[in-house]
Amino acid sequence: MQKIITIENVSVRFDHHATQHRSLRTTLSNLAKNRRAEYFEALKEVSFTIDKGETIGLIGRNGAGKSTLLRVIAGVIKPQFGNVIVNPDSRLVPLLELGIGFQAELTGTENCFLAGALMGLSKKQIQAKLDGIIKFAEIGDFMDEAVKTYSSGMYARLAFSLATEIEPDILLLDEILGVGDMFFIRKCTARMQKMIRSGITTIMVSHNLDFLVTQCSRLIWLEHGQIRLQGEPKMVADAYRKLGNQK
Amino acid sequence: MLIHFKNLNWGFLKAYAFTQIKLRYRHTSLGIMWNVLEPVLYLGTLSLVFSAINRMELSDYVVYLFSTLVPWRYFEATILGVMESIIAGEWLLKKLAISYFIFPLTRWLIAAIDFFYAFAVVLVILVLVKPSWTIHVFILPLSIFITSAAALGIGMLLAVAYTFFRDIKPLATTGLMLTFFSAPILFKADAMPMGSLQSELLVYHPVTYFAALFQKPLYYNCLPSLLDWLVTAGIASVFLGLGIWAIHYFTPRFYFYL
Repeated sequence: MQKIITIENVSVRFDHHATQHRSLRTTLSNLAKNRRAEYFEALKEVSFTIDKGETIGLIGRNGAGKSTLLRVIAGVIKPQFGNVIVNPDSRLVPLLELGIGFQAELTGTENCFLAGALMGLSKKQIQAKLDGIIKFAEIGDFMDEAVKTYSSGMYARLAFSLATEIEPDILLLDEILGVGDMFFIRKCTARMQKMIRSGITTIMVSHNLDFLVTQCSRLIWLEHGQIRLQGEPKMVADAYRKLGNQK
Repeated sequence: MLIHFKNLNWGFLKAYAFTQIKLRYRHTSLGIMWNVLEPVLYLGTLSLVFSAINRMELSDYVVYLFSTLVPWRYFEATILGVMESIIAGEWLLKKLAISYFIFPLTRWLIAAIDFFYAFAVVLVILVLVKPSWTIHVFILPLSIFITSAAALGIGMLLAVAYTFFRDIKPLATTGLMLTFFSAPILFKADAMPMGSLQSELLVYHPVTYFAALFQKPLYYNCLPSLLDWLVTAGIASVFLGLGIWAIHYFTPRFYFYL
């Protein structure tokens, strides 16, 4: 199998000073007192590889490092230690939230062109996909209205439709299927399954274990920024549930 | 370092900049016309007020004032816009791996588009009030290029500083205001008594040389001197180089400070 993502000894530290209130005065004071910055380690020496076409589920408690790991793979966070190697020929679409690149004042159509440009598509390419996007999103005439007037369901449908029409090679999903009504979730799940069958590589974060067990080829369980267990989905999910029952 | 530019999504940069301009006037009746009307109203008011204060002939003062005031407004808008660009781009920079140069360049492009509208207005006004024109005005694109590069470089350096220290913004705003009022923009350098401290200080004021790039071709009908070109091109090169280096160097750390 062709390796599409390699994570080697990745560590990510969040400097407490960076996330707290800071000013020139506090920074100079810290420097003068030679006070060392305290940090929180969100990921600690994480290593694994992902083959082309795999569907990986990331599980773990809140704060375990799942979203940080997705952001590292997406290239949004540069880890202080270790390497992340993503096949450069693959189109990676990170759906860390629905509607990335959307502007509230723009219409649905205008947002499709702007967010499409963000994903590296030309105007012509977006134009060619527009009918498919509108059809899946079931928005109709609202495509010419500002997205700030959309219901949350309409917004989510348009954003998901656009992101999945782009035909990614690697798709990163961070809990986005928790948005919208049951009809939307069912529709998105069906599209996701179709994409998985077509051979794209998917890495998803979700707290819905049953969904992950049925959709994924492997689960990775993160705890305190480290991999606690990874392997066959049912085995990892059972171990995770067992721990939950003990606590 | 060049990899950042190679990976720059120019399609998005262009689309985002034009979207911002479009959105600015979306709910106005006159729309994009405001890009022309706003400088007309601003320059008209200023020229009336300052010609009354300075007791200069209106047409003469208008030529002098507009030749540098509009480039200065562009210089200032670029620096302040670029300075805030990385912080303002948080909504995207924390969710997608895109070059950190995208937002500084977008702000610069928006300021440049506004400037071209305003400068076109200035040229039309000058055609009406300026008695004679010389071939020296054709050097203006080079003056604009150097001024742009300097403003972009200073803005990028401040953008890095502002990301880490939010105290920078009021300091930068005050610094620009001081620079503006101490530079020969509202007043003429030769209005200072020869040999006075003020006239001596103007020799060391960097904006004196940037102002000369516009005042000499438009007001004095001559070319800027070699010293004007050397000082301004030197400042622009140093700040642009430092600005690009700073964004490149600090890119891995920005996420944690947004």
